[in-house]
Amino acid sequence: MYSDLLNALPEVLSLANFAAVIIGVIAGIVVGAMPGLSATMAISVLVPFTFGLEPLVALGLMAGIYNGAMYGGAIPAVLLRIPGTPAAVATTFDGYPMAQKGEGGFALQVAVVSSSIGGIASAFALMLLAPPLSQVTLLFGPSEVFWVAIFGLASIIFLLGGSPVKGLISACFGVFVSVIGADPIFGTDRYTFGQLEMLDGISIVILLVGLYALPPVIDLLETPLKTETDANKLGTEPIWRTLPRMGRFWKTWIRGSLIGIWIGILPGAGGSMAAFMSYNEARRASKTPETWGNGEPEGVAAAEVANNADTASALIPALTLGIPGTAVAAVMLGGLMIHGLQPGPMLFRENPDVVFGFMWQFLFGAILLVFLGGSLATNSFARLLNLPRPLLGSVIIVLMLIGVYSIHGRMFDVYLMLGFGAIGYVMDKLKFPLPPVVLGLILGAFAEENLRLALRIGRGDWTILFQNVTSLVIVALTIAVIVGPLIKRRYVNKRLKAELGSKTGMEE
Amino acid sequence: MKQTIAAIFALGLSALPALAEYPEKPIKLIVSYSAGGGSDVLARTVAQFLKAELGDGASVVVKNVPGAGGQIGFTEIATAAPDGYTIGIFNLPAALALTNDRDASYDVNSFTYLANFVDDPNTLVVSTSSNFESLEALLASAMEAPGAITVGLSSLGGNDHFSANMISASSGAEFTLVPFKGAALARTALMGGHVAVGTMTLSQTIGFQDEMRVLAVLSGERSAFRSEVPTAKELGLNVTMSSLRGVVAPAGLDPEIAATLRDALSAVNANAEFQTMMADQGNPIAFSAGNAYAEVAKAQDEVARKIWEETPWN
Repeated sequence: MYSDLLNALPEVLSLANFAAVIIGVIAGIVVGAMPGLSATMAISVLVPFTFGLEPLVALGLMAGIYNGAMYGGAIPAVLLRIPGTPAAVATTFDGYPMAQKGEGGFALQVAVVSSSIGGIASAFALMLLAPPLSQVTLLFGPSEVFWVAIFGLASIIFLLGGSPVKGLISACFGVFVSVIGADPIFGTDRYTFGQLEMLDGISIVILLVGLYALPPVIDLLETPLKTETDANKLGTEPIWRTLPRMGRFWKTWIRGSLIGIWIGILPGAGGSMAAFMSYNEARRASKTPETWGNGEPEGVAAAEVANNADTASALIPALTLGIPGTAVAAVMLGGLMIHGLQPGPMLFRENPDVVFGFMWQFLFGAILLVFLGGSLATNSFARLLNLPRPLLGSVIIVLMLIGVYSIHGRMFDVYLMLGFGAIGYVMDKLKFPLPPVVLGLILGAFAEENLRLALRIGRGDWTILFQNVTSLVIVALTIAVIVGPLIKRRYVNKRLKAELGSKTGMEE
Repeated sequence: MKQTIAAIFALGLSALPALAEYPEKPIKLIVSYSAGGGSDVLARTVAQFLKAELGDGASVVVKNVPGAGGQIGFTEIATAAPDGYTIGIFNLPAALALTNDRDASYDVNSFTYLANFVDDPNTLVVSTSSNFESLEALLASAMEAPGAITVGLSSLGGNDHFSANMISASSGAEFTLVPFKGAALARTALMGGHVAVGTMTLSQTIGFQDEMRVLAVLSGERSAFRSEVPTAKELGLNVTMSSLRGVVAPAGLDPEIAATLRDALSAVNANAEFQTMMADQGNPIAFSAGNAYAEVAKAQDEVARKIWEETPWN
């Protein structure tokens, strides 16, 4: 099969096919940078237009958009604390504090290089390991996926922030939102108040835009005349000078890439979970965890490498099993079907030129990201900050409204988003952390659906959840994640006490 | 008398050009699911050919109205003005089945049935690593231990679910139904051995010939796509169920416009290029137009209602 891989290369390098990737990456960065517009939306708008195009031109555009958008989301996340895409939430943690310290330019450079590395790693995983990795997906049935969701919830306890009670309230709010809509098994209405629009549940994009984009915009408009001096400076240096400073992230890059690839392969999880988990793991491994959240460049690297590392790997189950790992992958499957390419194991045998060509396009898209992203982001997009605040705020509000309206083409979603915006504004003012809401929404739904499926398969017998090795391994990991920090804290406390004890002893 | 006839004749003549002008503005083709799905791909393929058949710069615009399992889109078709400028893709049994389990503002009589294109039969399918080599072996095992065999479905209240129910009813075997979120997840669970049997449609098994064994296809005749697979009927189970996709308009459509559209859709179906594209997309075609299609819709509606009355799914 590796000869098929090489045979597909010349076709990819033809002018039209390569240009498609370049255009896709640029378009993706722009779309990703706009709050409310996501890669999923851009690609689903694109799919109908690809009807008349050659398959590889169409797929090249999609691969480019996907890669570009995953990085593009970092731009407003760093500069304005507004994640451009759901996957960029974790990028705001350290990216925005960096921008406030006048290191926004460096933060964006870290983001683009990390994104690119994640994308390249993911493309290689897709190219070299797709068929064997698809077997991993098969291991994960409902009970295993349920444990993955619990693992995810457990590993984000750190997101609860300074006040665990407020954090838990936020997480519960997220889980509550996940309950709205049709029951995943029976289809009965839950909290829809008879509104058909609520039957599919609350779209993560609507929640995200309301909760994350509106409060910072209101913040911009609350102090329209405030003149910022330091924060407006990006402090951008040429990338060849900053690159050596990123060398120390190599461990984070490898870890984040592996996490991203793994999460991508699992159905339904997606880039935001990958970014959160990578950020968490990198922080735990760090020697200076106290600097995280206050502008630690490694935090940006961890989040961005992971949310790009799930792009190509999400296509592994999509191409080999017809089961999309993310919403974007689902839309891409539609794009493939339009060109008569049926996903499944046979795809690799019947259309190797297109499938492997598509994989190359992913690789090139990821590499191009450094060049296109580097110049676009730091030179043009970043000038956003020099716009007068009232103008910037109103432009973002308009983009948000358009973005949310265009998801399903209905005003209902816009009102819903504004409602979440009001909640987000209040939460922000009362210092409730927002990330647990997003994760509660994603993982709550995920856990509920799979727990109920598993119990149906086991005909109500709870032991089904512990009946195979894969489940038990994840359960063990979950316990380690919860208990680990407790033991560590205890150990550190003891040592501190001992030190204190010896000190006081000497004083006496 | 002669004058009256002449007058009618003249009226007829003057009316003719008016009708011949249809369509004089873009026709909206509503898809009740999001862009990129099977229904969307069908809609865009049909739209492309329908435009050419209607000729004279006619334009057909596909509009996706996803949400609530298709209900929002189907409602929009049913309640649109029956002027021929709003038509839509109609999914059976999904569109009518959901009128049982919730309040819907339409029913089987709310549409003018123009033409059905896709008829994708359900199957009984197991993983190639499964012990069940035949339908007989599967049913025997299910009789022995009622409920021990799990069946993965794409959802409750759809053709996968009805297939399983009808097989239970006609054989007396009992299964445990596991409704996943969509056909692809159900298929993966089947391949991973998390459920024992699937009832997915035949097109969903294409591309997975080495991974899954189709025990029977639930159609009247063997399918051209997998001619080696026997029908359930041949094996002694009188069960047919399939997923249908066709084109409908709101009820009360002017008969002349309905005829124009039906003829154009028949011409689309006769187009060899269209047939090739549909086959490439893995869509089994079973074309029926007008009354024949309306009959199919009524039959499907009754099947769904009967199952709902006997074993409501929520």
